[in-house]
This record gives sequence, C-alpha cells and structure tokens, in this order.
Amino acid sequence: MRLPLLALLAKEPAHGYELKQALEQTFGAAYPQPNIGQIYVTLGRLEKNGLIKGQDIDQSNRPNKRVYEITDAGREELAAWFAEPTEGPRVRDEFFMKLVLAPGAGGSDRLALINTQRRHYLNVMRGLSRLAAQDRDNRVAQLLIEGAMLHLQADLDWLERCQEELD
Amino acid sequence: MSRSGPDTARVAATPDADHVLPPAEAMLWAQDLVKTHRGAETATHAVRHVDLRVDRGEFVAIMGPSGAGKSTLLHLLGGLDRPDSGRIWLDGQRVDGLSEARWSLLRRRTVGIVFQFFNLVTNMTAADNVELPALLAGMSPRQARARREELFAELDLEDRARSTPAALSGGEQQRVALARALVNEPGLLLADEPTGNLDSRNTRDVLRLLARYHASGQTILLVTHDARVASGADRVISLFDGEIADDTALHAPADGPTTVADVLRLKG
Amino acid sequence: MRALLRWVRADLRAHRGQAALMVLVTAVIAVSLILANALLRDAANPWQRIFLQSRGAHVWIHVRSGADTAPLTRLDGVTGVAGPYSTASADLVRGAEKVSLELRAAGPQLPSVARPLVRSGRWLDPARSDGIVLESSLARAMRADVGGTVTVRARDGATRTMRVLGVADSADQGSYPDWTPGLGWVLPTALDRVEPDPAHIQQAIGLRLRDPGSADFTAQQAVTTLGSGQVTQVTTWQQVRSAMGQDNRLLGLLLGVFGLVALVAAALATAGAAGGRVLAQVRDIAMLKTVGFTPAQVVRLFLYEHTALALAGMALGAGAASLFGPLLPGALGEAMGVWQAEPARAGALAATGAGVVLSIALATALPAWRAGRIPAAPTVRADRPASGISRLARLALLLKLPPALALGSRAAFHRPLRAGLTVARLAIPIMMITVALGSWATLDGFQDHPRQLGLAASLTARPSGIDDAAARRLLTEQPAVAAAYPGAEIPALVPGETTTITLRALGTADHPYPFALAAGHLIRDEDEAVAGQGALNLMHAKVGEWVRVTAGGTPHILHIVGRDIEPDHNGEMLSVDLGALAGPGGTPKAQYYALVLRPGANPTAVRTDLLAASHGRLDVRPVANPAAQLGLVRVVVVGLVGVLTLIGLAELVTATASGLRDHVRDLGVLRAMGLTPRQVTAIIVTSTALLTTAAVLAGTGLGVLLSNRLINMEGQASGVGAGIARMPAPETLLMAGAVAVAVAACVSVVPATRATRARITAALSANRT
Ligand SMILES: Nc1ncnc2c1ncn2[C@@H]1O[C@H](COP(=O)(O)OP(=O)(O)OP(=O)(O)O)[C@@H](O)[C@H]1O
Ligand SMILES: [Mg+2]
Repeated sequence: MRLPLLALLAKEPAHGYELKQALEQTFGAAYPQPNIGQIYVTLGRLEKNGLIKGQDIDQSNRPNKRVYEITDAGREELAAWFAEPTEGPRVRDEFFMKLVLAPGAGGSDRLALINTQRRHYLNVMRGLSRLAAQDRDNRVAQLLIEGAMLHLQADLDWLERCQEELD
Repeated sequence: MSRSGPDTARVAATPDADHVLPPAEAMLWAQDLVKTHRGAETATHAVRHVDLRVDRGEFVAIMGPSGAGKSTLLHLLGGLDRPDSGRIWLDGQRVDGLSEARWSLLRRRTVGIVFQFFNLVTNMTAADNVELPALLAGMSPRQARARREELFAELDLEDRARSTPAALSGGEQQRVALARALVNEPGLLLADEPTGNLDSRNTRDVLRLLARYHASGQTILLVTHDARVASGADRVISLFDGEIADDTALHAPADGPTTVADVLRLKG
Repeated sequence: MRALLRWVRADLRAHRGQAALMVLVTAVIAVSLILANALLRDAANPWQRIFLQSRGAHVWIHVRSGADTAPLTRLDGVTGVAGPYSTASADLVRGAEKVSLELRAAGPQLPSVARPLVRSGRWLDPARSDGIVLESSLARAMRADVGGTVTVRARDGATRTMRVLGVADSADQGSYPDWTPGLGWVLPTALDRVEPDPAHIQQAIGLRLRDPGSADFTAQQAVTTLGSGQVTQVTTWQQVRSAMGQDNRLLGLLLGVFGLVALVAAALATAGAAGGRVLAQVRDIAMLKTVGFTPAQVVRLFLYEHTALALAGMALGAGAASLFGPLLPGALGEAMGVWQAEPARAGALAATGAGVVLSIALATALPAWRAGRIPAAPTVRADRPASGISRLARLALLLKLPPALALGSRAAFHRPLRAGLTVARLAIPIMMITVALGSWATLDGFQDHPRQLGLAASLTARPSGIDDAAARRLLTEQPAVAAAYPGAEIPALVPGETTTITLRALGTADHPYPFALAAGHLIRDEDEAVAGQGALNLMHAKVGEWVRVTAGGTPHILHIVGRDIEPDHNGEMLSVDLGALAGPGGTPKAQYYALVLRPGANPTAVRTDLLAASHGRLDVRPVANPAAQLGLVRVVVVGLVGVLTLIGLAELVTATASGLRDHVRDLGVLRAMGLTPRQVTAIIVTSTALLTTAAVLAGTGLGVLLSNRLINMEGQASGVGAGIARMPAPETLLMAGAVAVAVAACVSVVPATRATRARITAALSANRT
C-alpha cells in the first residue's frame, strides 16, 4: 500500500479520501477495497519517514483536511521502486512436497493428489472467469485477471507434466 | 437439475448387457469405446475403454495433453471415425453401428461440429457455408437465409456474409464455423479446440458465445488445452493416454475466488 | 439437392477458367461429332433414300442383245426384276463438250422395281417420241433443263436433237461424272432410231433381292446362268453406294475418328482435372461430410458438376453447329443444311449428346468415387519427410548448378507414377496433333507431287471428229505436253464374275505410262497388269498373282505385277498396256490420250491452247485431283488442331495445379532457405516444361507411327491403297514440339508466380493439420 500511495501522490497532492477514490477507480473490483483507516495510518508513517509532507487546510463548517505532497526523498524512494525488478511467483512448493512425499508416507496416491489439485485450480479458474465477466469494462482489472489466469494455466500445465513424469 | 456426479455417472455407464437403454436425460452416452490407429508398423492406442455420458443441457470440457486421444474421441462421438469396439447412444438412439451415410444424415440435425482449423468450405462465401447445412437438412432457401441472418446478427458477422473464408480473420472464421454448426439447432455441439488458433481476445469472444448458447440450453462437448476455456464448462474430463483420468464437476462460483486478492493470496 | 447445387455453383465460380475451358472443349468436340454425323449421313443418305423410294435393284446386269434373260427372274432370292431394257451407248453433245451416255428404252409406264423418281418435268410420253428423261446428276452436269433440248450423237456420228421431258433420280448407278456413262431414258422407238444396228443394242436387267447381302452371290449365279460371254457388265448396289458417298464419307470418317479420339482425350482431361480437384479439396470434402453430406452425395457433387459442364458444352456445341454449320464453306455447309432439314436429326443429336455427356460422366466417375471415400475426420498428415528436397537443394546450391534445373527435374519426376500419368495424358493430344499434321502433309503430297500419287497426267484429250493421227499430231505439236499416252477403258468382269471393274489400257510397250507404284514393278509385257487397291480388293487378288478378266466378251489372263496408287474410281482399276487389248484387228484405237505436262506448265492454259488448236475437236479435260476436293480436310485439320490444343491446355492447367499442390511446402522451404522467388518460379516452370518435353517426345513418336497407319488404312478403305501417307516434315514436328513446350512454360508461369508470391509462412503452414 505504501508505494502505490506514494505513486499517486507523485502525480498530484491529495488528501486521504481522494487517494482512496483514486485507488478504487484505477483498480476496480479486481483489487481489494482499501480501508480509509489503513490509508491514514500509512500516510502517517510515510510522513514520519519524510517521504511526504502534510499540510492542514481549513474548511468552513467541517473538520480540517490534511493534504499530502511528495518530498524529494519520497521521489527517490519511488524511483528506486520502479527501477528494481519485481520478484515472480514462487513454485508451489508445498504441493510439490506432498506430491513427492505422499507415496512413501502411505498417504493418497499421486494421481489423486494431482486430480485434487487440478479440480481446485479449475474451480479457481471458473471463479476468475466469472469475475472477468462481471467487471468487463475495467481494462486494468481485466489485465490483472488475465494474468492470474495465465498463472493458473501454467500451474495446470505443470500438473500435466507431473502426471506424465511421475506416473 | 440433479446431474449425477462423476462417480455415479461412471457407475451408470458400465452395464455390459447389450439391451440397456440410455437414461432419458443423457444426450450422449458412450460405453467402453476403444480406438487404435494402426500405422505401417506402429499401433497407437488413442482411446482405451472410455465411458462417457453427457446430459442434455450440459457443457462438458475434455482436457488432456497433446496426443491424449481427445480429437480421436471426439471424432468417434461425431461419427467421423468408427470405434474398434464400444457402444454409443446419441439422443436415445444407438449409433455406433450406423453406416457412413446414416451418420451423415444424423449429423445434419443432431450434431454440430467445430474444429480448430479448416472449418469452412474454401470455395463458398461465409453465408453459403452456413446455409449449406441448413439446405441439406431440408430447409427452404428462404428459411435457411433467415436463420443464417439471425445467427450472423448474434455473432456480429453481418458485414462478412459475402466474404470467402480466406478473407476472414481467424476469429471471424471460428464464429462463422460456430454459426455453421448451430444453424440446424443440433442437440449436441462438438468442438475440437475451437479457440486453439485464436488470440486471447478472440478466444474470449468465442467463449462468451458458447456460454450464451449453453445458457439457452445447448448441450456442448468441447475439447481443449486451455483451462480458461475449460473453466466455462460445468464439468471437466481429463483424458490421459486414451483413458479418463479424472471427471470433475466445477463448483458454483460462490466457492471460488471473488476478488483478485483471493487469487493473489492463493498464489502466495 | 439444393445444397448440392449450392456447392456446385460455388465451386464453378471458384474455378471459372477451368470450367470455361472444359465447356469450350466439349462444345468443340460436339461440333465436330455433329459435323461428322452430318457428313456421313449426307454421304450415304441421298442414295439410300432414292434406293428405298425407287425400290432399287440390288444387281444390274448388262448382256448382249439376244441373250435370254428370263432365267434370271427365276434365280433364288430374286423378288423383283427391272427390265430388261434395251440400251445403247451414245454421246451427249453440248457445244464442244461431249459426254458418254447410256440410253435406256423405257415405256410410258413407270416400272415398279428401280423406278426412276421424276424430280421435275414428267416421264416419257408416247406423244413425244423425241423426248428424253435425264438422270439428275447428268442433267445438272450438262446444265440441261426441263423443256430444253440436248443433242445426242449416235455411234455412227449422226446427231439428233431431243427434248428434255423430265429429270429423274435413280439409284441404279453412281452420280455423273464419278460414274460414267450418264443415264438417260427414251422411248423404244427413239432408241431404235439412234441405234438401228441390233448388234449394238444391249439388255440391262435389274434384280431386286430378298437379302441384299447376297448380291455378289446372285450376280455370280446370273453370270453362270447366262454364260460369261453374254454378260458385258455387272454392278452391285454396294459399288453404287460407295461411289456415291466416297468423298464425304471419307471426310466424315476422318472427322468422326478425330472427334472420338478428341472425346477420349477430353474425357481423360476431365478425369485428370476432376482427380486433381479432389486431391486439392480433401479438406473441403471432409468438411462437407462433417456437415452431413453422405458419401453418395459427395460422389454426386462431382458427377453433377462435370455432367453439367458437359451438358453446357454440348448445348453450346449443338447450338453453334445448328446456327453456323450451314454457313460453313463447301461440302460441310451443304451437309449441315441438308442435315438440318432431316427428321432423324433430333435422334442423332440426342445420341451424340448422350454419348459425349456419358463419356465425360464416366470419366468423372473414378475421381468422384475417390472423393466419396475421403474420410470425414480431418486427418491429413504430412506423410513425406521434407528433408529430401532440402538436402537436394543444398547440394544444388553447393554445386552452383542452376537450381531451377536440378530442382525442377526432381520436382517433375519426384513421383514417377503421377509423372507418367501426366505425360501420358499430355501425349495423347500431341499424338493426335501429329496425326493431323500427317494428314496435312499427305494433302501437300497430292498437291506438290501428284506424280507420286498416281496423277502423272494432268489432262486427258479425247479426239472427237478427227482421226487418231491428227489428234496425235496436235498433241505432239503442243510444246507444254511432255508426253501423250494413248488409252482406252472398257468394263471388265472380274474373276468370279460378280462385278465389273474398269480395264484401262494406257501407254504402249515402247512408251509405258509412268504408273505410281506402291508395290511391284511397271508393266513390261503385254500380259502384265498393275492394279489399284480397289481392284485388288474386288478380285481378292494380290500382286504377283494371275487373274482372268473378261472384257468385251474376250477373256484376258493377266499377271498382276504391281499395285499402283489410284485416286480415281475407288481404285477399281486394272491397268494394262494398250497392246494387251489387241485382238485380231490389231491394237484398239485410242479413246483418249493422257497428257503429261512439262514441269511448270499450267494445265488450264494448255487446255485452252489445245482446244483452240483443234477447233474443239479434241475434248480436253483436267484430271481431277482428289486433293482439290479434300481441301476441306485442311479446314478440318486446322479445327482439330485447335480442339486438341484446347484439350492439351486443359491438361497443362491440371498438371501445373497438381504439381504446385505437391510442392507448396517444398517451395516454402526453398524460399526460406534463400532461393529468390524468381528462382522458385523457374523451378516450377522447368518442371512443367520437362514433363511437356517428355510428352512431346512420346506423343510425336507415336503420332508419326499412328499417322502412317491411319492414313494408309484410310487409303486402303477408299481403294486408293496404302502408300499415300506422308510424314510431316521434321522441322514442322520440331517447331510444333517447341511451341508446345513454350506454351506449357508460359501456362505454368502465372500460377507459379502467384504461388511464389504467397507468404513463406503461409506456404509452410499449408500442410499442417
Ligand atoms: N489417423 C491417424 N493415424 C495414425 N495415428 C493417429 C491418427 N490420428 C491420431 N493418431 C494418433 O493417436 C493419438 C491421439 O491422437 P489425437 O489426435 O486424438 O490426440 P489429441 O489429444 O487430439 O492431441 P492434440 O491435443 O495434439 O490435438 C496420437 O498419438 C496420434 O498420433
Ligand atoms: Mg486434437
């Protein structure tokens, strides 16, 4: 949450509620709805670290609102985030452990394990398909879902490989 | 609808007496199908003892690695190839012993088939390709034309009616193929990797169409590599080495992830 | 049915060019078959019609006066008798022209057997004792009209003017001038006036038989009954018919044979094209089965399509023949005109059409059946490794060979069976074109070297009213005349005494006539003779044998020492030296002189000069060159070469298309390896050119052999005899072959260029399943 907020503020100064709206607009249903309290906590932490600085603005017949602005230190932090490559998803090592160890441990056989896992993935995939069908107009959300689907597809392919190789 | 689960389906499909009748709700029922392709010196056991039941209104996907025998199975079920042994009922009728000509007659009304490539007769326009099976099934030219126009409107192909297949994009070709397969409102739609040749956008379009026809009651049996495609089905059958390795009904959406966050969490 | 039609329509639209070509080929074949039919009918029919209408006699026998013909009427199988009529020979004179005439005495009542069919005017009338009825071909030749007069000169030279009462058709003899003498009917009293000497009066009797096939046998019986000394001439209906129909029948046969061979070639071309299409459309056919076409329906698709094309071609051809046929020049046009008026035409047309359409349908049957057997499951798999071609290509590139040559030859003969079939199919039209060229060369032979074809003399001169010595002097004085051979012709009974042939005495022992010999040697002795093929056939004799013929009651025993080429009289000509006819009264008088002109002399000019010099007392006539009549054959030959070229083109299109289909993938590989599109095009063109070259070699070779055989067979059948066939000149053949190869290369350039322009990836993925 930290860095996305910093990125939003790098575009233009904003207060907490505006940031929540911006996040919702950009990511749509594909992303967990941000909690306003969580946003305020994060902003406070950022300000303490000197990455943003806040300024209270008086409002008639309302509580003051605090508008945040990115600092130079904040920009450096953001630049460093963009510059560094993102870690990819890790191999499903837990399932792999099960798969390798199950026959020896007298658990269920491999085919059953693989089938269970495949059913699970397929169900997840089905859920994603529904999700994609619901939020058809948000391109960012669609891309995110498609990414998740492709990951799942890769996992399913990998299951097939497991089945072929370990049979 | 009380669709039988995978296990009951298998139990129901194993009686070996020849005079059993298929359950009334089964659109397609196959028992103990075997097909071996014999080459010059090799014999490929493409389909081994497959039992399969597809109920009316069901959407079943068959998945499996390349060479698992998916296409062969589909060809057997569509009468494009004959099984070495086994029994097939289609819409309550025993069909495995039919002659090629009888199968052709049956396909006109009961089975629509879509392949990955070469779905269309190259010399004919898109419109003619779709009207041809309609005429074959006995519609008058006017009826055939009306039905074709209706389908083309649904599939967003109105301005492609006069084009030849070569002038159509892959996605358009598959949509025309879908129209061709559905023009006679067949009881069963067989599809062999209908999206195998398409990019993700066109894949999505074709899937949506399949989902739409499924929602209106169309029985579909679809072969695919693509889990995204398979996830649209009610049931997924995994074929491995010519045998059914798994047969699973997909859950109602409530059980699956509702947000991407769930997905991301799942992927840990 | 509607679905079938829909597919056929789409398929035709997709293969417009090929379809149009097939329609055109069928149409042209239909036209040639119709023309052949018309000619054959025209040739046989007038006589047939007249014979039927007049209840013609199957055998005509001329006997000396005083012979008793009554026993003839009692011969077995004779159902009716015409005559006997008294006949006398005379001349019909018109200006300087004079033709020999047989006057036949007939009553005012028309006979029931061999009744002359009066076409204009009326029959003889006792009130008009100077009346004459002329046979219609004679009347036409003499331009004698009803109501006009003709001059008849008797044997003694006395002339008499007679009035033409009518013109009648008769099936008794062939048409004038092919058949001489001409025929005229007069009242008995008039005959007596013309020929008062009963010794010169003959009797003609016609026998109508129950079984026309026994004419020969009956004739022989008749001669035996009467004694051969009494019989001067015997004619059977077969002789008359063949004399009537000769020219057109030959032409009709020629056309018919070519039409049939063209039909076979076209059927093969159709089979090839249909087969190629089936191979090219395996996937489409599988698709059709998937959507519910039964195998039988798939078979029908192809059958319907090609039958429809054949029907269209047939209709086009029939229409064109009906519309434009009568406008054709010469005999063809006339025959078509007559044919159109004929009631039997519809039947003939239907039969021809059914034959053509059926052959095409039959030719399509096999490929159609194959199409029906194509499996519905789309399982076209690449069964050939592609490595062979690429290795070869690499090698060719390494060796710096022109890759087009190396790869083109490999492409052409990669599949020997298919290459062989292609060569064979291409070779057939080429073979027939060679035969056509052979016919052309033979005609050229007639025209340029008439001497070698039995036409040494180009004029005949008949003295009339001057004596022999004067005539001879006139001829030798004419500088353009190289030699004048005295000649005489009399009818002679052949051994077996069933028919008459012409016994011709020509040339003398010290001045022999230069017969064009196909076998044996020239006449060296008085008992030696040379015979035309027709005569040999009639006598059932061979060169080297002895025959006995009876001429003018005198038997002659002759040794046939050679066979000469006889373009005239159906070859029924036995030639001897003038001395051979010598009787107690010395050598017979020359009836005419055969004039051999000096090289370069113009026969027409010489004729005019001779007529002028003799003041009309030499009857000079040009010798008919059959090539002049057969000039029509040239038109036919040109037309046929056109049809055959079309068929060849159709074959080429098929060959190129199937060659391309076989190699699309290879071509993709080649291009991916770095051959330029131009080089790839060159490979395809080379491969087509090589196949065509093979076909040209095979086709020409066979064609030359076949051409000689066919023409000689035709010669034999027509009595002219074998030995007239001429080979087309080597340079002509070379040219034709070169043109064929060049055309093939050109035809293949277009699709080849198109194929090589296709994207590499498209070519590479074309064989994926
Ligand atoms: N006509 C044929 N002749 C010979 N072998 C065949 C034939 N058709 C299929 N096979 C073989 O049978 C096996 C199953 O083939 P099939 O096409 O059914 O597999 P698939 O599951 O559809 O594979 P893919 O996903 O690649 O399409 C393969 O090993 C294949 O090589
Ligand atoms: Mg497959």
